[in-house]
Amino acid sequence: MNQLALLVALPLITAFLLPVVNRVSTLAARWVGPLVLLLTSAIGISLWPQLGDSAVAVELGGFRPPLGISLYADRMALLFALATSIGTLLLWPSRGEEWLRQSTLALILAASGSGLALSGDLFNIYVFYELVAVVSYGLIAARSSAGSFAATLRYLIVSSFGAALALTGIALVYQATGTLNLAQLSRLAPTHLNNLQGLSAFVLMLIGFGVKAELFPVNTWVPEVYATAPTRVSGLLAGVVSKLALLIIVRLLVLVFNQPEALTVMLVLGMLGVVTGELAAWRARDFNRMIAYSSIGQLGIMFIAFSIPGEAGVFAGLAVALHHLVVKPAMFLLAERWQGSLHRLAGAARTSPLGAALFVLLALSLIGVPPLPGFWAKLLVMVNLMAQENTLYMAGAWVIMGGAALEANYLFRVASSFYHRSDEQSSPAAHRTRDLATASLLGAGLLAGAVLIMPLADEIEGIASQAASKNRYVQTVNPEVLP
Amino acid sequence: MLDTGLVLYSGAFGLILIGIAGIVLSSHLVRIIFGVALLEAGANLLLLLATWHEGAAAPIIVAGRVPDRMADPVPQALVLTAIVIGVGILALALSLALRVQRAYGTLDMHEVRRRMEQDIAGEAGIDLPSSSHAPAAVQTARQEGGA
Repeated sequence: MNQLALLVALPLITAFLLPVVNRVSTLAARWVGPLVLLLTSAIGISLWPQLGDSAVAVELGGFRPPLGISLYADRMALLFALATSIGTLLLWPSRGEEWLRQSTLALILAASGSGLALSGDLFNIYVFYELVAVVSYGLIAARSSAGSFAATLRYLIVSSFGAALALTGIALVYQATGTLNLAQLSRLAPTHLNNLQGLSAFVLMLIGFGVKAELFPVNTWVPEVYATAPTRVSGLLAGVVSKLALLIIVRLLVLVFNQPEALTVMLVLGMLGVVTGELAAWRARDFNRMIAYSSIGQLGIMFIAFSIPGEAGVFAGLAVALHHLVVKPAMFLLAERWQGSLHRLAGAARTSPLGAALFVLLALSLIGVPPLPGFWAKLLVMVNLMAQENTLYMAGAWVIMGGAALEANYLFRVASSFYHRSDEQSSPAAHRTRDLATASLLGAGLLAGAVLIMPLADEIEGIASQAASKNRYVQTVNPEVLP
Repeated sequence: MLDTGLVLYSGAFGLILIGIAGIVLSSHLVRIIFGVALLEAGANLLLLLATWHEGAAAPIIVAGRVPDRMADPVPQALVLTAIVIGVGILALALSLALRVQRAYGTLDMHEVRRRMEQDIAGEAGIDLPSSSHAPAAVQTARQEGGA
């Protein structure tokens, strides 16, 4: 099980060796990055059956917690670590002048993303989170245009603000408990953190880590960054990195801060995210910002789902998150050729029939049209919200339904314009084969999910019940200290 | 005589508040970046204070003698890491601000944002998002400002 550390270590070492390899052979440098990610994905997949029902904790360097740092892998953590490797591989930066720098940054992103998913220690999470942030600044600014520098700087300011708030939250937690190991925290939380100090620590960390998860008040960067960054990077940020931040928040909720007030804060912020995101997407007039705002709305739904108490919430939230993980990067891949005004897209189906068909498929699933996985994910959230029999949760259900109506409106508006006959001969260019192939692969995955929905749902429920169990975490990391 | 702990804690929270106020209220990019630096300094100080005791010694055993009260070394190691990260990000932020200043000729946040929105809208081939709803006078002023 020590291979777990390889998921972090391999891409990191490769990233730093890449410039050296490039001196020897440019060809090798071009291929070594994707190959290493293929290898880490293979390692992750080979570990999957071993995990089964039991989770695994690895003590790095043989030091026991609380002083040592532990990696913790249950199936949810491994799933997101895998998603980071595979996602980075699929959205590997395209070959430009800056390919060496971009590849290096993408590899570090894969390493720190996996580390974020597997980390079992609050401070380690902070460090990996900052690493992901710094790497993403470099990736976003890749176009080197004035707009992209300004957007990166504004993102950097929001993100550093969030990270400092999260650090303040961590300080409050350490002050109350004297440990940062999540397993120990979860044992101490009921007595030490079940108070105002604990709640403020949670809110600080929620806002801090919520920056990457596009949480309501700290998501001003989203439309600017996704409009100026390379589309592959936008896909990676919206698809994978936002889910990693979400995963941390869920871990904190399950293990440390399971107070009802914490859930309420998240529910309200999630609702505001859905309302603002979907309304802004409805008003947006260019493709990139439309899908950027819509991803704010989608992440709002995830926050609402995870705020449902108990295993049901983790199950529903995980379902929506996985669906979004597949759909959003595919949307951004299609955006590569469809950037700019929505009016210019009239008649796009003629130049790129497969792209238009894929967009319709993705849009249908995003809205939640029955046979597609998006429908089941949203249904699960709705049913569980209704089951709470609480006015606020009921309001959450209404907000999601209203959001779906808006989504249907703006996505169909775009989809129908694709099939309009335009008089001008200015239809957008056809997609590049590589983008289209990757998007088709994701679309095929979506269709496969629709066919195999029952076994898929069972699997996700298994993952969720494992992730929602506090005792399993404590037992796995630190068997002898169980109360 | 003032209580040292009180001074230190109010220093930490004060730095955090000043930092947040600087980020939210200033419109000059360098001031905003300094606000971030102050906020980080406050957070770091708070983390150090988490296990601070009056008169505690450094946790080093000298000549076999163990000090009565030792400070917890873990937050100190953590803060060291956090400071390094913070300095790195500060340098990155300043270099980005330099690039922005070269491109737009200003460090005013509102102006930078307006120019950036213009760039994005221009690239996308749409009018500025709010221009269709703004009063005519504002629109003309905006066009003149943009020209």
